[in-house]
Amino acid sequence: MNGLTLLYNFQSPQTTEGDFRPASYKVIYFFSEQGLIEQSTLRELCKSVPDANYNDLTFLNLEDLRVFAQRVSQETESSEVRLMSVLDYNIGLDGAPDREGFLSILSKFGEVLSNAQAKKKGFLGKFFN
Amino acid sequence: MSIENDPVRPGEQWFFYWKTSAALWESKIKQFAPSEIIFIPLYWGLHADQGQWDFGQIQPEKDLKRLTHLLTQHGRKFCWLLPLTPAPFLPNGGVPAQSARNLSLSNNGVSLASIDNENKLHKMYSFFDPKIFQAFSSFLDGFGSFIADNKVKAPTWGVQFSYFERAERVSFFKDSSMIFEQGFSRYLKKSFPEGVQLSQPFEEGKLKNQFLDEVQGLFTSMARETLSPFWAGEKMITVLGSGPQETIERALPSGKSQLKFFKDIFTLYSHNHFFSSVLLNDAEKSQLISTFLPEHFGNEDIEHRYHYQMYPGELGQTFRPFSVVDIFGPDVKLFKENGLLPTLKKALPWTYQVQETLDFTPEGIESGQDRVKFFHATKMDRTRFSQMLKLFLMGQRIVFDKTGLHPDLEKRLQIFFLENNLKLQSVKYLINIQVCELGEGLLICLEGEALKDQPDRKKFWDHIFNYLKIQHPSLVMDDDVFCLWRIRSTAPTELNYLDVRRINLYNPTSYKKQVLVHTQKHFAFLKMIDPSKATAKSTTEGVEVELLPNGKIALDFGHYEERK
Repeated sequence: MNGLTLLYNFQSPQTTEGDFRPASYKVIYFFSEQGLIEQSTLRELCKSVPDANYNDLTFLNLEDLRVFAQRVSQETESSEVRLMSVLDYNIGLDGAPDREGFLSILSKFGEVLSNAQAKKKGFLGKFFN
Repeated sequence: MSIENDPVRPGEQWFFYWKTSAALWESKIKQFAPSEIIFIPLYWGLHADQGQWDFGQIQPEKDLKRLTHLLTQHGRKFCWLLPLTPAPFLPNGGVPAQSARNLSLSNNGVSLASIDNENKLHKMYSFFDPKIFQAFSSFLDGFGSFIADNKVKAPTWGVQFSYFERAERVSFFKDSSMIFEQGFSRYLKKSFPEGVQLSQPFEEGKLKNQFLDEVQGLFTSMARETLSPFWAGEKMITVLGSGPQETIERALPSGKSQLKFFKDIFTLYSHNHFFSSVLLNDAEKSQLISTFLPEHFGNEDIEHRYHYQMYPGELGQTFRPFSVVDIFGPDVKLFKENGLLPTLKKALPWTYQVQETLDFTPEGIESGQDRVKFFHATKMDRTRFSQMLKLFLMGQRIVFDKTGLHPDLEKRLQIFFLENNLKLQSVKYLINIQVCELGEGLLICLEGEALKDQPDRKKFWDHIFNYLKIQHPSLVMDDDVFCLWRIRSTAPTELNYLDVRRINLYNPTSYKKQVLVHTQKHFAFLKMIDPSKATAKSTTEGVEVELLPNGKIALDFGHYEERK
């Protein structure tokens, strides 16, 4: 895998456990080879996307999610970010026999967005926990 | 002592019989110390063979009769661990291959899968699939007959496996897949033949939890009844590294850090939860974890956790785990809100235990006699309420947060004070407190809700700790240093002391860390033990410790003043 990976889920109001909410795209995990990005960092960066719920890291549409992913990618100076739905992830996982097979899911599925502004490959360690 | 990371003996005295040839069982069994109880998880799916259950009649690798003979022949105590949920260290979570059809999903919709200590990926399948229930039921019949026919007297523990994610313990039984939804729909139709109006998602969530509990109960009760003469009880074991987030973290080149594992282990420990390290690989068990786990969670701890041994009320000559505070409540968040937990974490780190149940047996009461007990009234039932008051009458120190106390129990409390002719002392410091003493017993009642937004609540709790006369060295530690205390009685050469307390300090980070142990005029520094990448020096206030990355040290203190 190169760059960042964002795993998201599409939520419909029927599946939420709290109050009714509009359908949304929720960030489940956001990580690079160096580990998961801290939730506090994600929440902070999420504030730059209008209408996003930064507490829950949910977005009203896929385009907003892409904007957020790009924003994180720029902030961490990553060359690319891969958006992967849990549906794709689950399909990949079903066929993976081991750790290596599992890692290959992360470079096969999803939509890749390049960050043309990336100055260098590699990341700022402070963003990862 | 360090952990030898053998896939067949992956930790906690578990024996994975399916991971080696049956010809090697004997030599592997002999590698366990003779005093250790051997825990044998049942890989029940392995024994499925074309409509029947093979316990060795067909394939030698499944010959449990031979396995039990070997264990008996070598005089080993052993017991079975029967998974009552998907088991993250077993292929397909333990279910037979032909029943592995519907992947189990987390709340977030992510398929549950775990990486084992050989980098194999095990996927969990939903236990809400009727096929799995049928297969499990059939296995229980087969296994029950096997142990009865062969007169295997070893006990069987039913185990619910769980993972730890975002500070919560989640059972592997929990599922959000389509097969769960279908089962839930059938459940609704059966439970509410007239139909049900689920206008609020909250209601739906509640009913889903009810459905989940009922189905889990079916698996458990069926196992308990079928194996009743051999049934030892049920346990929940959190398997380190098994959650969906951890699977991603552990697969990445950076891996899950040792610090994060330490945080998980200490949180689970402070909540009195079982955990297992069987999934961790060589790299994950290297460094500090390899020495820390056997030091604190070795054979003796395991025997206590499975109730093969009980600590007597009196201290013995060997060290035992030591904590000064027990916390009882329906929800640990309540003790965060009233400020108790944050203060404890700072003042007495890792010396408190959050208890889900109150052991009210004579042995349980005796062994917890010296620990201060904090209770919360929210959702408190009459039994717990009466037990709390009895503990006070028995001379224990109780702090009772009355927030949310049911009016009936409030009345009973007032009657209790009158009947026992107890004098209440009212004190006001930030909030109103009522104090009542009877012999050694001390009962402090307060309304903790009023502390919620109090900036000085730390001071409040510090005063309460002083009043309770909690005599224990206090610590000033850098973040991410971990410690555990143990206690023993004095040896004949240490007659001046009431007891001896040992602190083990660990630095799982990659930074140098400092710790100051304040001896507070009640403790004398005796010695340091096994320092590794660590130094300690005595000062007028206590002991200053410096821990390098992966450093560890143990310090002994003599306690020389009696609590009055």
